[in-house]
Amino acid sequence: MIEVRDLALDAPDGRLLLDGLDLAVPRGGNLLVSGPSGSGKTRLLKVLAGTERPVRGQVRIGGRDIWPGGGVLALTGQVRLGFGFASGGLLSNLSLRENIALPLRFLGMPGVQLDRRTEQALAHLDLQAVAELRPHAVSASARKHANLARVLALDPELILLDDPVEGLDAADRAIAQDLIRTWGSDRTRTLVIAAEETLPFSYLEAERLELSPAPMTVEFP
Amino acid sequence: MAYLAQLGAPVRGFLEFLGDQAHLVLRTLHHAILLRMGQVAVVGGQTKLQIRFTGLDALWLVSGSALLLGAVTLIQAFSQLSGLGAENYIGVLMVLIILRELGPLLTAVLVIGRSSTAIAAELGAMQLNGEVDALAVHGINPYQYLLLPRWLGVLVSVFVLVVFFDTAALAGGFLVAKLKYDVTFGFFMDSVRQALSNRDFAATLLKVLLFSGAITFQACHFGLRIRRSQTEIPQAVTKTVVSALVAVFALDGLIAALFYF
Repeated sequence: MIEVRDLALDAPDGRLLLDGLDLAVPRGGNLLVSGPSGSGKTRLLKVLAGTERPVRGQVRIGGRDIWPGGGVLALTGQVRLGFGFASGGLLSNLSLRENIALPLRFLGMPGVQLDRRTEQALAHLDLQAVAELRPHAVSASARKHANLARVLALDPELILLDDPVEGLDAADRAIAQDLIRTWGSDRTRTLVIAAEETLPFSYLEAERLELSPAPMTVEFP
Repeated sequence: MAYLAQLGAPVRGFLEFLGDQAHLVLRTLHHAILLRMGQVAVVGGQTKLQIRFTGLDALWLVSGSALLLGAVTLIQAFSQLSGLGAENYIGVLMVLIILRELGPLLTAVLVIGRSSTAIAAELGAMQLNGEVDALAVHGINPYQYLLLPRWLGVLVSVFVLVVFFDTAALAGGFLVAKLKYDVTFGFFMDSVRQALSNRDFAATLLKVLLFSGAITFQACHFGLRIRRSQTEIPQAVTKTVVSALVAVFALDGLIAALFYF
C-alpha cells in the first residue's frame, strides 16, 4: 500500500529532518512512527497523504505515484484515505455532524446510508450530544474524536493518524484506543500512526519507525 | 549584471503571478469537467452560499450607490446639455457613462471590497487551520469544493449586480430628469434605447465574465498562499484588493479598446 524510496524531508526552517528513508507497508499492515516533537512525524504523514511535498524521493500509495506526481489529487477517487489530525482539520463553518458527513456526501453516498454511517460514527465516538456544534464550540477532545469519527464514517483503506490519543482523558482515550485496535487488527486496512509515545499502542502489531531530532538517522529495530 | 537582475526580478515575479493565475483557472476548469453527478449538489450548495453573500447581501448597497450615482450624473450632465440645447443626448450620456463603463466597473469595485477580501481571508484561515488539507485527503477536491463554487457564485452575483446597478442608475437619472426638468419616462427611455447597441451588451457580458474571474482567482491565489501565521491574512487581503483593482481596470481598458476604439 505504501512504498517510499530515498525520501528526504525538511522542516519549515530548511533543516533536514529525514534523509534517505526507504519504507514499504503492505496492504493491511500497520506502521507506528515515533519520535520527539519536531522530528518530522507529522511532516512524514502529510507527505504520505500527498498534502506536502518532500525535498527528494518517491512515494507511491496504492500503486499510484504521489511524489513525484500529483500529490493528494492523484489519490482522489482512487484510494480512500482517512486522516486523523492532531489538531484542527475540521471545517470551522460546519457542525461536527456536517464535518463527518461531508466526505460521504462528496462520494455521492445515498442519503439513508449517509445518515446511518454518520450517526454510527457519532455514537461510536460519543459525540451525539455535541453533534450540532461547530468545532470552536467543543472541547479539544471532542475535536479529536470528531477527526476519528470522520475517518470511521469514511471507512477508508488507508488510515493516517497523527497523535490520536494525545491530550485525551482516560475515558476518551479508551474509546479512541478501542477504535484504533479494531482498525489495527483489520487485515483490509493499512494503518499508520505517528505519536511521541509508543506505550499507548503497545498492543498494536506494527512495524516501528523511530525518528530522532535532526540531523537525522533512521533506525528500524 | 546585478542591476539587470534587479530590473528583471519584478518582471519575473509578475510573469510567475500570471502563470499561477492561469494554472488556477485551468485546473479549476479541468476539475469542473470531472465533477460527478453526486457531487453537483454539494458544489451547488456552496455556490448558493457564495451567491447569497456576494450577490443578495450586496443588492441594497449596489442599488443605493447606483441610484445616487445616476441622479448625480444626470444633475451634472443635464445642466451642461440644456445650456447647449442638447437635451436629446441625455440617453447617450447615460449609456456612455453608466451602462458602458461605470456599471460593470463600480460593481466590480464593490464586489472586490466586500467579497474578494472575504474570500482571501476565509481561504487563508482555512489553510492555516489545515482545513484545505483535510478536504483534500478525505477525497473532497479543493478545486471543486472551494474554487469552483466561489467562481460560479461571483460570476452569477456580478452579472445580477450589474443588471441591478444599471437599472437603479437609470432610475436615479430618470427621477432627477422628471423632478427637475419634467422629462417624461417615454422620452427618457427612448433616448437610452437609441443609444444602446448589441455591442454594449456583448461588452458588458465579457466584462462580467472577466471581472468575476479576476476577482475570484486573485482572492483564491493570495488566500491559498498563506502558510505560516495569522499575520499573513491581512497582508493577503490587501494584496488581493490592490491586485484585483489593477486587473479590473486593466481589463476594462482592454475591452474598451477592443469594442470601441
